[in-house]
Amino acid sequence: MNATEWKEKLSAIRDSFSVCIAQPTAGDPEALEQRFLGRKGELALLLRDLKDIPLEERKPLGALGNTAKQEMEAKLAELKGSAPAAASAAAPGLDLTLPGQPFPKGSLHPLTHVMNRLAEGFLKLGFSMADGPLVEDDYHNFEALNFPQYHPARDMQDTFYVDAKDASGKFMLLRTHTSPVQIRAMEKAEPPLRVFHTGRVFRSEAVDASHSFAFHQIEGLYVDKGVSMADLKWTADAFMKDLFGSSVKTRFNPSYFPFVEPGAEVDMSCIFCKTGSRCPVCKGTGWIELMGAGMVHPNVLKGCKYDPEKWSGFAFGGGIERFAMLLYGISDMRMLYENDLRVLKQVQ
Amino acid sequence: MKILYSWLSDFLENPPAPEDLAAKLNRIGLKVEELHKTGSSFSGVCVGRIEKIDKHPNADKLALVDVHDGRATMRVVCGAKNIAVGQKIPFAKVGAMLAEGELKKAKIRGVESEGMICSADELGLDGYDNSGILVLPDTAEVGVDASMLFPKADYVLEIEMLPNLGYCLSHYAIAREISLFYGLKLKEVAAPAMKAEGQPVPVEIKVPDLCPRYGAIVLKGVRGARTPEWMAARLRAIGSNPKGNLLIDGSNYVMYELGQPTHCFDIAKLSGPKIIVRKALPGEMLKTLDNQALKLDPGMMVIADSSKPVALAGVMGGIDSSVSDDTDAILIESARFKPSTVRLASKAAGIKSESSYRFERGTDPELPLKAAARLAALILEAAPGAKVEQVSDNCPVKYEPPVIEVSPEKINAILGTGLADSVIYGCLKAFQPDLKDSKPWKFSVPAYRLELDSVNDVAEEVARYAGYDVIPAASNMPMRPSTVTPLWTVTTELRNTLAALGFSETYNYDFVSEKELKACALDAAAALELKNPLSSDYQYLRPTLLSGLLKTLRYNLNRGRESALIFEAGTAYARKEEGKAEEVYCAGLAYGPVPEGGSWQGGSAPADFYCLKGVMNRLFAGKSGFRYEKARKAPAYFQPGLCLEMKLGGNSAGYLGRLAPAVCAAADFKDNNIFYFEIPLSCLAVAGKTEFWQKIAKIKPVSAFPQNWRDLSVVLEERHEWADLERSFSGVQDLSSARLVDVYKGKNIPAGHRSLTIRFTFSSMEKTLNDADVGARMAAILDKLTKNFGAALRA
Repeated sequence: MNATEWKEKLSAIRDSFSVCIAQPTAGDPEALEQRFLGRKGELALLLRDLKDIPLEERKPLGALGNTAKQEMEAKLAELKGSAPAAASAAAPGLDLTLPGQPFPKGSLHPLTHVMNRLAEGFLKLGFSMADGPLVEDDYHNFEALNFPQYHPARDMQDTFYVDAKDASGKFMLLRTHTSPVQIRAMEKAEPPLRVFHTGRVFRSEAVDASHSFAFHQIEGLYVDKGVSMADLKWTADAFMKDLFGSSVKTRFNPSYFPFVEPGAEVDMSCIFCKTGSRCPVCKGTGWIELMGAGMVHPNVLKGCKYDPEKWSGFAFGGGIERFAMLLYGISDMRMLYENDLRVLKQVQ
Repeated sequence: MKILYSWLSDFLENPPAPEDLAAKLNRIGLKVEELHKTGSSFSGVCVGRIEKIDKHPNADKLALVDVHDGRATMRVVCGAKNIAVGQKIPFAKVGAMLAEGELKKAKIRGVESEGMICSADELGLDGYDNSGILVLPDTAEVGVDASMLFPKADYVLEIEMLPNLGYCLSHYAIAREISLFYGLKLKEVAAPAMKAEGQPVPVEIKVPDLCPRYGAIVLKGVRGARTPEWMAARLRAIGSNPKGNLLIDGSNYVMYELGQPTHCFDIAKLSGPKIIVRKALPGEMLKTLDNQALKLDPGMMVIADSSKPVALAGVMGGIDSSVSDDTDAILIESARFKPSTVRLASKAAGIKSESSYRFERGTDPELPLKAAARLAALILEAAPGAKVEQVSDNCPVKYEPPVIEVSPEKINAILGTGLADSVIYGCLKAFQPDLKDSKPWKFSVPAYRLELDSVNDVAEEVARYAGYDVIPAASNMPMRPSTVTPLWTVTTELRNTLAALGFSETYNYDFVSEKELKACALDAAAALELKNPLSSDYQYLRPTLLSGLLKTLRYNLNRGRESALIFEAGTAYARKEEGKAEEVYCAGLAYGPVPEGGSWQGGSAPADFYCLKGVMNRLFAGKSGFRYEKARKAPAYFQPGLCLEMKLGGNSAGYLGRLAPAVCAAADFKDNNIFYFEIPLSCLAVAGKTEFWQKIAKIKPVSAFPQNWRDLSVVLEERHEWADLERSFSGVQDLSSARLVDVYKGKNIPAGHRSLTIRFTFSSMEKTLNDADVGARMAAILDKLTKNFGAALRA
């Protein structure tokens, strides 16, 4: 080996060292040290080769080799985190603005997020989770909820029927609301009872920006001795504050659902109003209608063999999509069922 | 329902202003969805005629117009394009009150305007062409007050009518509510008692339980009774289309006013004087007012003359007995019918009418004769020659008001309030002025509130009376431990793990088409079918989540993505004679390069079977009894031989594998590299098994001594599966793991063989293993591999 070859080799080693150390994956400085500077390291072997070069040429080469060695040592020290500040500032360093290694995240659906949040809130208030089938019978979906067979209240919910019959020979249906879970919960357990449920419901409606033939609801039921509308309002208020912030106010308005009496619509004070313009969310009323609620109708209690003289209860329900749309600022419900990953992946 | 403010005001002394009224109605549960102004409220505008049009000297788009107002000609600046000489137009002089306020003198581009030619918008008129100025009919007289040409200013309130509000379906009824709950004085309807010398109308009610009351008034000499303009205007304002014939319009008017549907028969077209209320006979037909021949069902109640049905009771009259402009003698029917009977008939006949709408919801038992008298009075007013001939009021079943015992304690217990006795009593007394104040109060339900039948109902009325805001948000609910369902626990675990691994959760619809089922190689006959699907696209309930996920994959690929990791936790359905028709699944698919786009430090690899298998390993990590088996009866959408069944103990925990090429092709995917898994969650959601403590595994101690590892490369026939090799390592002393680090086929490896490199890690609890220890264990392993699998060390 002559001096020129030796220099080229040294330069190749320096280059390869720079490349190695510049990579964020460089990882173990000890390994690099061993590879380049160790007893059998590339630089050590090269320095050993000096012995084959004539003495007069050897000296400057040795100096070059030593400089390279010091540089490498400094950089390794820096990598180890023990380099003096001055040395680190002088070194060219890494382009720390290069993108990090991707660990692509998945996402939970916004409706899942909302339902989980609701579950958390109600579990804290002592409501247990209840469940029920999506393919229901007429009794649980309507009859037991005080929707008489030939009452116009049945027009409130356009129903899908399936080609299977229940024990009484009536066609099964897709539940139109989560309220049958109230009945199933009361059939299963003696009072007192405090349960909630979230899940999918179906209505035979055309899909548009605010309607869907499949959507989700939350249902809550509390039966005990001496339960009143005040308990209901407190619960509704806690619920709204949990979801929309502690500054939110709750208001009741009279309303009608066959399975409650008195019935109420639960309004939340509008948190979207900005001064100076008519709010598109509450349409300038200052209130947003969010849930239906009321005291469990005595007929419903009786039907579940709960004595209405002894027990009273409240029930409430609301649409999950509506909560999600308000929380995520979505104006078209269809967006929740398109499953566009550009949308879904925004959900944290 | 539309309510006209002025009409409502007929029945209230000092009615609140429209906005206030709307707010008051909202607070008692009559939700005003819309309040809009109708008619004209402008003043100082007269009919003018355009005499001359000149160009504005300083503006191309403006004109100078000479307008004559009957007395003088004035010059105005106008920007409208539709002006023409000779037009009659609404001309506002300075000082006129318009929609936006008072019209002031103005100079427009240097020219003074002495007034304004108005558009419909500027006049505050709804429902007119607003593209330019409002051109008035040529018959309008120049100089007269233009507001005379339009209905007077009024307000229409659109009120949402929930099904329980049968007692609110008229102007009078809404006024009654306002009066009750806000203490305003109610004015009664002008309905003089009708007297007649003639015999009562012969009415035979064969079904008194379905028709508890039937009032009838016979009028003669009604020919030519035209609808007065004020009545037509009111009907128009609430969206009813007046016909001009008072016998028709008046009947509608009374219904919107009082809530009681009435019907006029042309007596000349009835056979015989007798009215019979009965059930339809088999085979009977009725040609209804809307001219359809209706085959009557024997369950339906009809009004009949002596030979035939003349009306479907409460739903619609027959055309053959209907009134016309030539009608001279009429029978006004005003009855009470059983709500469910009317509803059934309306449903069966497919006819919904304003009448059936009200009967279905229950009508006031005391109203029939009053409404008939009101209609008769309106007709008599318009047809001075008319005369009341006969009056009758058949009431085979008297209305007995239910009496509800009300105590203040009970009301306060329901509402959670501390309302004073006087407030509650005040409410009851508003309903029943003669209520005696001795507790418990005996509240006799007013006739128009038939649906009140429990103390809960009364509590709601008290809350409406006192205002729902009296209910405090206060509770002293006892603490109770809450529980979650096993299904929710496992669903949440799977969702969170999948999301952490890069999968995005999707929500797909439950309905699929027959085509989609076929595309997934599924038999429609096994799927649950909807009886009334919205369309054939949504005919079946999904038997698998796959179809929705494929649709979602397609949707996203069409929008520029190259890959997708998606999943859903949702219900799938099956047609089953017994057992559950539904099962919650967690299913997902992987397609395309992972991670999408790769990184500057290295690329990404296409998702494959092992990618998804790794995901499954994570989902089932720590689940005892979890293993893979060769799928024996996997769903048809998996490619045979490229699918594994997952097992938990003896139960199936679903499948994972590559989708069958036919399924990919049917869903229009060119390559066959969609990898799919589905897990029925019932296998995991086992009661008791999802409790927190159950899921905790005891932590095993770890060695205090350093561990050793050795790589071993062996060559063996391909038919030997890794799982078998792995199983054979069990029992090797101190072996803590055997990890496959390389699989190689090709150069230097005999055909039908492959090379496996396995990294064995050893660790002892007792000592540091030396080379000899490790060497001995490795030799044992190699020996097993050689003996059991014919493996040879790779050269």
